[in-house]
Amino acid sequence: MPAPIARVVFTAGFSRRYTAGVREFAVEAKNLRGIIKAMDQLYPGLGRHLEEETTVAIDGELHETAYFQPLKPGSEVFFIPKLEGG
Amino acid sequence: MNDVAATSRFKWVGTRPIRPDGVPKVTGRAQYGADFALPGMLWGRILRSPHAHARIRSIDTSKAEALPGVKAVITAKDFPDQKNEFIGPERVAQNFWHITRNILAREKALYEGHAVAAVAAIDRATADEAAELIRVDYEVLPHVIDPDDAMKPDAPLLFEDMITRGIEPAPTKPSNISKRVEFKIGDVAAGFAEADFVIEKEFKTAAVHQAYIEPHACTVRFDPNGQAEIWASSQGHFVVRALTAKVCGMTIGDIRVYPAEIGGGFGGKTVVYLEPVAVMLAKKSGRPVKIMMSREDTFKATGPTSGASMTVKIGVTRDGKLTAAEGEFRFQAGAFPGSPVMNACMCAFAPYDIANVHSVGYDIVCNRPKSAAYRAPGSPISAFGVESVLDMLATKIGMDPLELRRKNAAKPGTQTVYGPKLAHGGYVETLNALLEHPDYKKPLGKNQGRGVASGFWFNGGGESSASVQVSQDGTIIVATGSPDIGGSRASMALMAAETFGVDYNQVRSIVADTDSVGYTHVTGGSRVTFATGMAVIDACKKIVTDLRARAAMIWDVDPEGVIWEDGQAKPASTNVGEFAPLPFNELAAKQALTGGPITAAASVNAGGMAPGFTTQFCDVEVDPETGKVTILRFVAAQDVGKAIHPSYVEGQIQGGVVQGIGWALNEEYIYNAKGQLDNAGFLDYRVPLASDLPMIEAIMIEVPNPAHPYGAKGVGEVNIVPPMAAVANAIDHAIGRRLTELPMSPPRVLEALAEGQADD
Repeated sequence: MPAPIARVVFTAGFSRRYTAGVREFAVEAKNLRGIIKAMDQLYPGLGRHLEEETTVAIDGELHETAYFQPLKPGSEVFFIPKLEGG
Repeated sequence: MNDVAATSRFKWVGTRPIRPDGVPKVTGRAQYGADFALPGMLWGRILRSPHAHARIRSIDTSKAEALPGVKAVITAKDFPDQKNEFIGPERVAQNFWHITRNILAREKALYEGHAVAAVAAIDRATADEAAELIRVDYEVLPHVIDPDDAMKPDAPLLFEDMITRGIEPAPTKPSNISKRVEFKIGDVAAGFAEADFVIEKEFKTAAVHQAYIEPHACTVRFDPNGQAEIWASSQGHFVVRALTAKVCGMTIGDIRVYPAEIGGGFGGKTVVYLEPVAVMLAKKSGRPVKIMMSREDTFKATGPTSGASMTVKIGVTRDGKLTAAEGEFRFQAGAFPGSPVMNACMCAFAPYDIANVHSVGYDIVCNRPKSAAYRAPGSPISAFGVESVLDMLATKIGMDPLELRRKNAAKPGTQTVYGPKLAHGGYVETLNALLEHPDYKKPLGKNQGRGVASGFWFNGGGESSASVQVSQDGTIIVATGSPDIGGSRASMALMAAETFGVDYNQVRSIVADTDSVGYTHVTGGSRVTFATGMAVIDACKKIVTDLRARAAMIWDVDPEGVIWEDGQAKPASTNVGEFAPLPFNELAAKQALTGGPITAAASVNAGGMAPGFTTQFCDVEVDPETGKVTILRFVAAQDVGKAIHPSYVEGQIQGGVVQGIGWALNEEYIYNAKGQLDNAGFLDYRVPLASDLPMIEAIMIEVPNPAHPYGAKGVGEVNIVPPMAAVANAIDHAIGRRLTELPMSPPRVLEALAEGQADD
């Protein structure tokens, strides 16, 4: 069975730095590891930035960026700057 | 599985048992950071810069080293230097070139109180005397503290080679602006064109200290095999271990950190100041070393939150639709980059559904201590401007300020300025609670006013670990890696009791050291009840699976034929056989016979955290003769998910509000012309006292988080976000004067009254 297609979105700042301003991608992946791997193939080195610099919102729900996060067909995967509180 | 639908069936979650840390604390037996001592221990003392900004030409330690009783003297040269690069996540990217220079200054002293050298001696008096014998040759430089002054092209530069990050193309000239960040949705120009009214206003907030009662302290032993042990209070002993190892050039495995009881942190104890210094002194002297900060040291050398200036502009239609919002937030980072300005940009307009939003932030270095996290870092500062302007707009269009907020409230599906659509609700419920509150419409007297404000905070998740042991008599030890600053030991015990179905009093909840439990991130970001709670629940569930298997062994049936219910193993059906239930305690007693000790560990990287929303109103009375503002009433409604221990949750709400009131009315750093702090003590830096305040009414709204087994959301931070604006709005309604600079202390209120500065 093919992996679901997710809509991957970066912030404007992140895309300016790492993807030549391209903010949205359609990526076939069953989990977040698949997204990171696919993005790293498109932009070598990007995977490490995603792993180290971001928190991820999957359909609006915030998660730490970690490989195991599962995806559903049509999931919106939004990488945002990592958050930390007091 | 989500147990939220059955909240009324919880036996322990949501109850208020006596706090497990209470007896040791009220009897004075709790061991705080300063309470630990070792045989042969030396006393460490740190020499600090008297100058706000000075080049260090040389440091002569010879006289100090020659003093009898002195066993070690160190400067920055005793530490390995670090690469000047930002590593790790953008918001919290760390630059160890900066961190090691904050621990002990190298080329320059960048603020009054900046550590310059350290000594270890046989007693405190000798250590003090030795520190005075260290000769530092300073070239005093011009200093800058105010963020707007620090941004000017001719401002004294803290780092002569610092080029602003986040601007393309990169500037060619250095400045004190470390970073620019920007978030944008929609078209703000078009949004403002749709508005009937637009208000733009400048605001300033003072840097305030977390004002934890316990100053920093640590004791360190360094063994000849190169391994160290640290006893210290902090918000995260695993982070103390990692930072100390990096700064001292050691491996993480070479350091073991024992968490002490903590006397408050509020974000300020997520970093290290003393531990690396004590490690190096212990290494050099061959003896254990203890260092304690004074209150003056704590004010002068540890992180306050940022002071800030900001410009906020919001547009609204006559019928109360917010059409556009724009904010520029300029934050003091202190002596090294890293203010919470990105959080401020992301949180500023987050409670609202506004199609066109633009937030820009500047991180600015200046000659004051490096800022550290403080309860919802960044969000209270931007909320002061945003929630003040919203109040002015509500007055302009003649709409109740809660109704204006409700009309524009963010809901699940609302587009956020930081990217995704909001997944969780909880805000509207806080507005409704106040609109229905019997005191909200109560009439007020002369010089009295009522103000409202709201707040948003992300709440955290992330890495946590727990281990659970079952004793032969059925008592249970729950060990986590989360220092308890807000009642987490009680919450962990409640969730364990609920998961097992046993009596809460059977559970002992402790905070384990770095070698005794798995990695756990800091107690911060309102993450512990949520994330560490999930690790505890997971470990308990593993034990339940184990207990079912042991019952199956006793009954000689398949484990699938055994269920766990009300703290007992039971046959899943009559087909399995007729067996009397096996209670938890009986299975605990048979652990040797059924396979050995009953233990389990679990670690999580918890996701699915839900943000926190709060709305608050307060009534104030202003004395027009003295300018003193008295808080008459304060009501705070907060979405708490599910209150695991409601008393602690109410305490968090009350604590956050009180700190916000202090920020609003009194707290500030007062610098003299030389850039030296003139109020480094609690007599002159005035935090609110119980006698200053009415009882804070905490209303807990429970909109459960489906991602947590018991519905928990973080509750520790969002409560500090609205008070400054709520108080400013109340003052405006009391005396018709809009105060835009914190603190709104008596002199500022009198000044506003005298100037007759009318509201917009």
